[in-house]
Amino acid sequence: MLKAATDAEAARFLLQAQFSAPDTDIASLRNDGYVSWLNAQYASAPGQTGVAWLDSKNRNAVTQDEQYFWPQFGDFMIWNQLLAGPDQMRKRIALALSEFFVVSLSPIDGFYPPYVIGAYWDVLTANGFGNFRTLLERITLNAGMGFFLNTKGNLKEDANGRQPDENYAREVMQLFTIGLYELNADGTHRLDANNQPIESYGQSDITNLARVFTGYDWDYVSNGAFFTPTPGKPWGQVPSTHFATNPMRFRASDHSTLAVNFLGTSIAANTSGPNALSAALDVLFNHANTGPFFARQMIQRLVTSNPSPAYVGRVAAAFANNGSGVRGDLKAVWTAILTDAEALAAPTASDTLRGKLREPIVRFVQWARTVGTTSTTGAYEIYDLSGSDQALGQSALRSPSVFNFFRPGYVPPNTAIATASKQAPEFQLLNETTTAGYINFMQWVTRGGYNDVKPTYAALLPIAHDVPQVLAWLNLRLAANQLSTTSLNVIQTLATQFGVTATSTDSQKLDLLATVTWLMLSSPEYLVQK
Amino acid sequence: MSKPDQWTRRLVLQRAMQLGAMGVATPLAINLAAISEAAAFDSTDYKALVCVFMYGGNDYANTVVPYDAANYALYHQIRAGAGGENEAGIALARANLAATALTPAAGPALTDNLQYALHPNLAGLKGLWDQGRLAVQLNVGPLVQPTTLAQYQSTNRVANPLPPKLFSHNDQQSIWQSNGSEGSTIGWGGRLGDIALSSNANNSLLTCISASGNAVFVAGRDALQYQTSPAGAISIRGIDPNQTNWPALRTALNSLITPTSNHVLENEYSIVTRRSIAMEGVVNGALAGVTLSNTTNALFPAGNPLAAQLKIVARLIGASTALGVRRQVFFVSLGGFDNHNLLMQDHPRLMQRLNDAMTAFYAATVELGMQNRVTTFTASDFGRTLSSNADGSDHGWGSHQFIMGGAVNGGRYYGTAPHVSIQTDDQVGQGRLLPSTSVDQFAATLARWFGCSAGELPGILPNVGNFSNTNLGFV
Repeated sequence: MLKAATDAEAARFLLQAQFSAPDTDIASLRNDGYVSWLNAQYASAPGQTGVAWLDSKNRNAVTQDEQYFWPQFGDFMIWNQLLAGPDQMRKRIALALSEFFVVSLSPIDGFYPPYVIGAYWDVLTANGFGNFRTLLERITLNAGMGFFLNTKGNLKEDANGRQPDENYAREVMQLFTIGLYELNADGTHRLDANNQPIESYGQSDITNLARVFTGYDWDYVSNGAFFTPTPGKPWGQVPSTHFATNPMRFRASDHSTLAVNFLGTSIAANTSGPNALSAALDVLFNHANTGPFFARQMIQRLVTSNPSPAYVGRVAAAFANNGSGVRGDLKAVWTAILTDAEALAAPTASDTLRGKLREPIVRFVQWARTVGTTSTTGAYEIYDLSGSDQALGQSALRSPSVFNFFRPGYVPPNTAIATASKQAPEFQLLNETTTAGYINFMQWVTRGGYNDVKPTYAALLPIAHDVPQVLAWLNLRLAANQLSTTSLNVIQTLATQFGVTATSTDSQKLDLLATVTWLMLSSPEYLVQK
Repeated sequence: MSKPDQWTRRLVLQRAMQLGAMGVATPLAINLAAISEAAAFDSTDYKALVCVFMYGGNDYANTVVPYDAANYALYHQIRAGAGGENEAGIALARANLAATALTPAAGPALTDNLQYALHPNLAGLKGLWDQGRLAVQLNVGPLVQPTTLAQYQSTNRVANPLPPKLFSHNDQQSIWQSNGSEGSTIGWGGRLGDIALSSNANNSLLTCISASGNAVFVAGRDALQYQTSPAGAISIRGIDPNQTNWPALRTALNSLITPTSNHVLENEYSIVTRRSIAMEGVVNGALAGVTLSNTTNALFPAGNPLAAQLKIVARLIGASTALGVRRQVFFVSLGGFDNHNLLMQDHPRLMQRLNDAMTAFYAATVELGMQNRVTTFTASDFGRTLSSNADGSDHGWGSHQFIMGGAVNGGRYYGTAPHVSIQTDDQVGQGRLLPSTSVDQFAATLARWFGCSAGELPGILPNVGNFSNTNLGFV
């Protein structure tokens, strides 16, 4: 059993596997090792779901001021999910999945948008340690995905020239399973006789596959769903939130019965809708591209922007077979990603392209979980943080499109990254506005929190008078000891000017602690996770 | 698929000059005669190109709409699945198009004697058409070379190359902006910026500006994208003496966020932060000297993100003299055009936003006396299908675009109108238009207005040599 040899090694691993590095997890990694820790996470019970949390806050109420239309409870829900609760690896994985299988709250309107996005998030947390095939079917039939990529209400062709909606058929191939180009087992492009990449599907594949996704719509009736009359409102009644949590219902009369020929497979005419769906998803799940395509992007989300093909190949092999002959076991994928030699190897000075830029959501959640937060009301009134000049410049479940906040192949122009022919997806969010906006936003929240969510710095208050100890504590937990001595000296020189002693007030101590935390969080040495 | 990149003499010289200015030894001996040749572009006037990108793929058929009775009937039959002239399916009502019906000032009759109307919510743009300030480019899209339907359907891709990943959002966005699919790092706006850098000696970083997010369109080989928020440049409070009166804190923060590093990602992050800090005072200082009248300000509606972006672009153009810049390329965008569903609910709102933002921007350039020096054009991922999927349309290829400005030969159509059909040979199925004009021709026309010579076009648009006409005449 491979174990972390130092606290820094343990922290470095934890900041790849989840958001923060609590002492108990560091101890577990040093005592029992990586695989043991991972298996404990896989076996641990999931925390409260997003939908259950919304229920607990009465967000399903039918109120006179029409709160059933308010989207912001969806933002409160996801920040509560990310900031609170013990099962943070499950949440970190779900966040990574939410940036691969993207659904955004932003365009969702109508009744109960928070429940629509909450039920989608819950699919990701419920299946993040399950099987890819199951996950693929659950997201396909999820109400939020149905809204976002238009399977909801998708009708078969008709005699007047109406065609099935192609959106889900296209994006499930391009983004969720096989990608644009045929791949080798290590994620590199297969090349044709002219040394060109080979496109993995064409328009005809999409037009055919689109038929499979016809006949679905939101289910307002199953599992005890009901309507509440709303006299005097134009809509007359409000559905219960079951439509958001129920898988979309299938109606055969709206389903195309034409044959489906795609990716070399044929689904016969008049195959039942559920059978056609199952067959089509099997084709995508079993396609040679799906393992390496998914593996590379998950490595990018958790460990490094530029994994070697061999690393991708090892993770793809775990996707293909978990060691017990099971394909698509996601636990095997996470273990392969996080315990790979390329992930565990300590960064070296000569490896100047190692790692990735931490994305703003992860920085914010890491900060909150590291210093500790508490909600004064339990409401978690943290809104959409997408604003780039005043806020974080990125907000969970608020991607501007199905193409995520950044693309896996993004190359920042006019940089040494481009010169080296490397990729840096998270740099797509970095520009003159966002770098300033982030520093300003963190200066504000590190001291004052955000609405009812307040930082406690509980572990740091008792040692606040001991600046070197404070800096060491933060350097380990924020940056796995990757801040340089130069930077630590700059921060220490400033910190001593606060003149905090053991008898200083908590407010004075918090001024110091928030400032040094903010300075670390602003430093590129922290921002780049190596 | 593209030719090897071609460097013109001027670009080579410019590169050498920049290297020299950066203190790097240059292998080229530059004499004064060569420099004066290179300076031919450096006229004293000001010109700006503004790209308005509609993310998601704009529905061409409800933007520039068949209006004459015969062609409207075809449009209605395809989009509504039945005859008639009322709003149905994804067809607009004919009566609602009367006020925005276009009468061209000149030009030959269109295919099948088409008469078009703009979407009813584009009334402001229709007014600019009437004034000769708005032109419509018909059926333009990415092409490697002129392509027929038979060539599109051919399996010989060596003889009949196509742009990669047609119908895919992210790739077609990238191809419109840069001639290359996702991951490409040089856009044609940025290449124009490369040529313009020496015209902007005082503030060359303000040559290529995005008021939207990061966009490859405004990334050049040497020209960098500068990004601004609609509020102008954002000041980092912790290093700003006006907001932080503790010098030691300002010094500490500044040193922590701007280090040089051997680690490439850390170093590139710092570079962006340093640029942000260096330009903030310059940009906001120059903007402080620009005020638009209350009347003009009121034309930019609150809650319209495109209007907010175009307003800061107008103000930056107003500050161009103070900033010492003479050639600029801007990028702004509006999202939400992927109208697979609820087209009749969502698309009209987008058209209203486009109309309000563009007309307000034109009015602002008039107030600034810059309307003849600013040319604005629209672009989008792709057009969409003419046929309906019940309440929306799907990904297509060619589309119609607008060109707006005082220098535009407006009130006219350019290019070839497609038949209103899902069967003719100017579409590739379901009314996905096979472009009859390429993005390279469209871009070349704009580049020439900007000041590029014909010889410089291949260095900017690698496939432009495959097309005979590189000046479409709309500006």
